[in-house]
Amino acid sequence: MTAAVEFRNVTRHFGPVRAVDGVDLTIAEGSFFAMLGPSGSGKTTCLRLISGFDAPTSGEIRIFGEDSGHVPPNRRNVNTVFQDYALFPHMTVRDNVAYGLMVRGVDKATRRNKAEEMLSLVKLAGYGDRKPGQLSGGQRQRVALARALVNEPRVLLLDEPLGALDLKLRESMQDELKALQQRLGITFVFVTHDQGEALSMADQVAVFANGKVAQVGSPTDIYERPATKFVADFVGSSNVLPPALSRQFGGPDAWCSLRPEAIRVVEGAGQVTGTAGSARYLGAGTKLSVHLGRSEDMEISVVLPPGQAVPAPGTTVALQPMSGALHVMAGEK
Amino acid sequence: MTTRPATLPVRGPGDRLSDLFWRRPRLLLALLIGPPLLWLGVVYLGSLFALLLQSFYSIDEFSGLVVPEFTLKTYAELIRPSNFDIILRTVMMAAAVTAGCIVIAFPIAYYAARYARGRWKAAFYLGVMLPLWSSYLVKVYAWKLILAKEGIVTWAAEGTHTSGILNALLSLPVIGGNSLSTSYIGTWIVFVYVWIPYMILPMQAALERVPTSMIEASSDLGASSGQTLRTVILPLALPGVVAGSIFTFSLTLGDYIIPQIVGSSRLFIGQAVYTLQGTAGNIPLAAAFAVVPIAVMLVYLAIAKRMGAFDAL
Ligand SMILES: Nc1ncnc2c1ncn2[C@@H]1O[C@H](COP(=O)(O)OP(=O)(O)O)[C@@H](O)[C@H]1O
Ligand SMILES: [Mg+2]
Repeated sequence: MTAAVEFRNVTRHFGPVRAVDGVDLTIAEGSFFAMLGPSGSGKTTCLRLISGFDAPTSGEIRIFGEDSGHVPPNRRNVNTVFQDYALFPHMTVRDNVAYGLMVRGVDKATRRNKAEEMLSLVKLAGYGDRKPGQLSGGQRQRVALARALVNEPRVLLLDEPLGALDLKLRESMQDELKALQQRLGITFVFVTHDQGEALSMADQVAVFANGKVAQVGSPTDIYERPATKFVADFVGSSNVLPPALSRQFGGPDAWCSLRPEAIRVVEGAGQVTGTAGSARYLGAGTKLSVHLGRSEDMEISVVLPPGQAVPAPGTTVALQPMSGALHVMAGEK
Repeated sequence: MTTRPATLPVRGPGDRLSDLFWRRPRLLLALLIGPPLLWLGVVYLGSLFALLLQSFYSIDEFSGLVVPEFTLKTYAELIRPSNFDIILRTVMMAAAVTAGCIVIAFPIAYYAARYARGRWKAAFYLGVMLPLWSSYLVKVYAWKLILAKEGIVTWAAEGTHTSGILNALLSLPVIGGNSLSTSYIGTWIVFVYVWIPYMILPMQAALERVPTSMIEASSDLGASSGQTLRTVILPLALPGVVAGSIFTFSLTLGDYIIPQIVGSSRLFIGQAVYTLQGTAGNIPLAAAFAVVPIAVMLVYLAIAKRMGAFDAL
């Protein structure tokens, strides 16, 4: 399969700030690709490098195999859904959606039909005559989506498109976006700082940390087999075990990750012994923090299945990892 | 456990006053806007109304006294060719000055709004405001010297062998003349110079409010820079342009000093008002002349509103 977008050792510095620092990435055509990372980790900068609003300090970005170095944004077959939507307030919703066709000289009748088609695609048929100011946040988001899709781009870039929406709307938009991407077959590059969003929507996830890519992989890879301490910490609630503790748990002499729900808790002493601490009810289970005493002064979190009794704080408990639950983090030496 | 009161004590007259205003917010509002409203209502609108009233009086041709009876005679006199020429000349000049200001101010305002940062922004504000701090008369007289036949412009044109261009400009019908300081071109140059800060500042404020992402969105969707300028930037900057043009247009309509010092010595509305209410003592006609700029501005605003200039406000 061809790569839709390829980063080859791309760097972008702003003075002393290394916003993007030696990134290599391959985004497969037709995939839903998420860039996940905390704020300031260089995700937006990467997106702007693809759209052409920013140029790399060094390295090269290939879009469908072509070096994009000298192609201005208006000639890239890539469109963006901006974080603040950036709808034109002086135009009607229909004119906003048809804008990409208008600047390309498409005739009025075709423009109108295509805009209406796009509006019904995003379930806003009949809203064409309104101004963006008369729409709710979720509706504006859909208009921005329709406007970016009208030119039938080969790659659609979305910069935290759901960030401004409330939880319920966000969840339904996540499903819609995913369905839309599958239907249109366009490559989506989706930026988010919400790990749940990235894991539930994407085919591939790149986790960013300080301008570098910490790990690229499928959501399962990222969630179950984090490559570094940072990924384990940021993406989930995985326990990060230093080599000595990994050995105690019966694993190799290396940094390992261990998911809280993959640990069995038994009262009494055992292979790894700790003291039960505070418990937090999560609905689908109870999260318990267990303090390992003496030499390894650290907390391990475990999730108890719904039926199991929660040990009182101060009780001595033994921890047993389920078989195959311990994962070596290849990115940590 | 220490007992702390649920309500804190009043600490003095300041607290008591602020309590009062909190209980009766309208009182504060009335105190704040009362005096200026009184000023606006009585002094400002009152005198405007008196002016309007005067324009419907007429003057007795024999005694030279004002006849305080309602008549449209004065307005009939206003549209006599010799008077109407004055109006036409002034309105045309105001329009030309406004157009000139828009064209010259736009790139400056655009640069200041989109590119200037920190020190350059300060330099921009200083550069635009500095001329406003020096005396208006000094500037106009300085321009008279610059534009005079023996002035700097003529001298520079000779030095750079561009006298031909200057002479061609001066030989244009109507707007040309003996020298720049005695032609409409000269008047226009000085007007544009004096009023341009009033165009740059509102334009810059309007352009500053156009988010960068909107310009990027336009480019992202395939628009060239020219298309972005026409379809996104200009429409969004329009309220600023209209605000600026209200200044330049009305300031030119009412000015009576610049055309007197620099220009072809033909009268503008301001000068007509000045002579009519002074030496000629024809207050009604002076008032009628003074009503013209107000009427012109109202028409202008109505057109601007019709064109949707205030939709983005
Ligand atoms: N135009 C810019 N000038 C200076 N620094 C910038 C600029 N754009 C981004 N940065 C810096 O680069 C880093 C990465 O920013 P960004 O790509 O926006 O991160 P993210 O989208 O992951 O939050 C941040 O430290 C940010 O301050
Ligand atoms: Mg960002």
